[in-house]
Amino acid sequence: MLQKPRSRGRPSSQADRDWGRGGDSRASRSGVAEEAPSTSRGAGGSQEPRSASSQGARRAGASPAAGPRSQKQLELKVAELVQFLLIKDQKKIPIKRSDIVKHVLGDYRDLFPDLLRLAAERLQYVFGYKLVELEPKSSTYILINTLEPVEEDAEVRGDQGTPTTGLLMIVLGLIFMKGNTVKETEVWDFLRRLGVFPTKKHLIFGDPKKLITEDFVRQRYLEYRRIPHTDPVDYELQWGPRTSLETSKMKVLKFVAKVHNQDPKDWPAQYCEALAEEEDRARPQASAPAASS
Amino acid sequence: MFTAKYMHIYSKEDKEQHSFTMQGSTRRTGIMTDVHRRFLQLLMTHGVLEEWDVKRLQKHCYKVHDCNAPVEKLEDFINNINSVLESLYIEIKKGVTEDDGRPIYALVNLATTPISKMASDFAENELDLFRKALELIIDSETGFASSTNILNMVDQLKGKKMRKKEAEQVLQKFVQSRWLTEKEGEFTLHTRAILEMEQHIRETYPDAVKMCNICHSLLIQGQSCETCGIRMHSPCVAKYFKSNAEPRCPNCNDYWPHDIPEVFDPDKDREAGLSKSNRKSLRSRQLL
Repeated sequence: MLQKPRSRGRPSSQADRDWGRGGDSRASRSGVAEEAPSTSRGAGGSQEPRSASSQGARRAGASPAAGPRSQKQLELKVAELVQFLLIKDQKKIPIKRSDIVKHVLGDYRDLFPDLLRLAAERLQYVFGYKLVELEPKSSTYILINTLEPVEEDAEVRGDQGTPTTGLLMIVLGLIFMKGNTVKETEVWDFLRRLGVFPTKKHLIFGDPKKLITEDFVRQRYLEYRRIPHTDPVDYELQWGPRTSLETSKMKVLKFVAKVHNQDPKDWPAQYCEALAEEEDRARPQASAPAASS
Repeated sequence: MFTAKYMHIYSKEDKEQHSFTMQGSTRRTGIMTDVHRRFLQLLMTHGVLEEWDVKRLQKHCYKVHDCNAPVEKLEDFINNINSVLESLYIEIKKGVTEDDGRPIYALVNLATTPISKMASDFAENELDLFRKALELIIDSETGFASSTNILNMVDQLKGKKMRKKEAEQVLQKFVQSRWLTEKEGEFTLHTRAILEMEQHIRETYPDAVKMCNICHSLLIQGQSCETCGIRMHSPCVAKYFKSNAEPRCPNCNDYWPHDIPEVFDPDKDREAGLSKSNRKSLRSRQLL
């Protein structure tokens, strides 16, 4: 019951990128606690996470270069990896494979896929975070919260919440309502009306220009590109890959509607687009169990 | 961000603490539900919380996910999570603040030494500044190191050269990430840092560390006997000398020459804390 499928963080192609085994299957989750340590017993250097089902196969595939590692050592590596991912995620900057190898894995780099999969299982089961590759083949990872944020979280959190999220939602909303791409000048024209100026230090947002065109871009919430052949030079903004993983067009539309005190259906074009995205995301969901077998 | 093998056990005769550690060592892995997961997530954003806030947080998580489930006793709830965290070398530890004895909970890391954990967030010269500050704090009589004394060490730091102005900012960064706390220009270790680093500090500075005569754990600040020199945490003093008209040193039996602090009272604290948290939530609502 608690495991109701959620629309956020579940785009069409995610099944392929999903490191958590078997997506949302309740059974596999509860089994993880017992499974995680035992699968790490094998010293195997198997590069294909899903093929590693039997212990025998794993032993046979052990790379000779790497000496045998005790289960304890592997468990410790997974623990370090989990902590590393949690700490790095706090800054919301996507985590590169090369950084994981350099800072955590070291001599265990041959076990990268296995260790990453085990860490992903722990992150999902213990913390409710899903480890996702940001874009296919990007070797860059982020954590997606599988628990819906609720308003009272902010209250329990005291003043530790992130007020910049509000500004981000406004910009995301503007981009979506304007047809998924918007010129930077338009963004500032809009924000100026809300008292946010590109070059003026803002009490809450600090340097708004840097926040939007650098910080949100590095966190991959936004894409920021120069529009070719314009004079004077202008830039355009689009949603970044993290945005599509963490939220949805429908959620952003609902946010915009709430701000305007209107109904999402008052914008039929956007509503249809958001609905189409929801259906699109729901479809591969149905076939997901097959992929995990 | 999150270490120490021994929590700052308040006192040996404290039954609650005893069962807390004992149950933590029984090897039965608990079951995580979304209630536990949200609790962990929110606790992680703080790193450290006072007991009263932890209870509020627990109730909140039950409300969000499972209104009908009976709210588990906090101790059992945390033991359950700790049994799952064990394989990750993470633990929710309970301790008390050295000054007024407030019970706090912190998420601590048992896998690597805390200094190396900090390495991902701080540059080499910044880490060395922390090491210098830590040494000054441990060597000091009061448990505090003045910013002047810490800043005088910047010329001796390893790594890139650091100016005093930068060092001041780095010290503030340590305060923000709850490695240090500041009181009137003086720095001491944050309770969370003591929970994480007790083991590390005991191993690294075996000759310089001070121990509490009552609870036998690490002592950074507290009271000391002017005759024999033994030390006690203020909250331990409060408990030990409670309703004792003529306090005497437990070691040499000489007259105890300090004010006896009050024992921490959660109910009294709750009243004060409530108005504080009301102000807080009001502020966050204004921001939104």
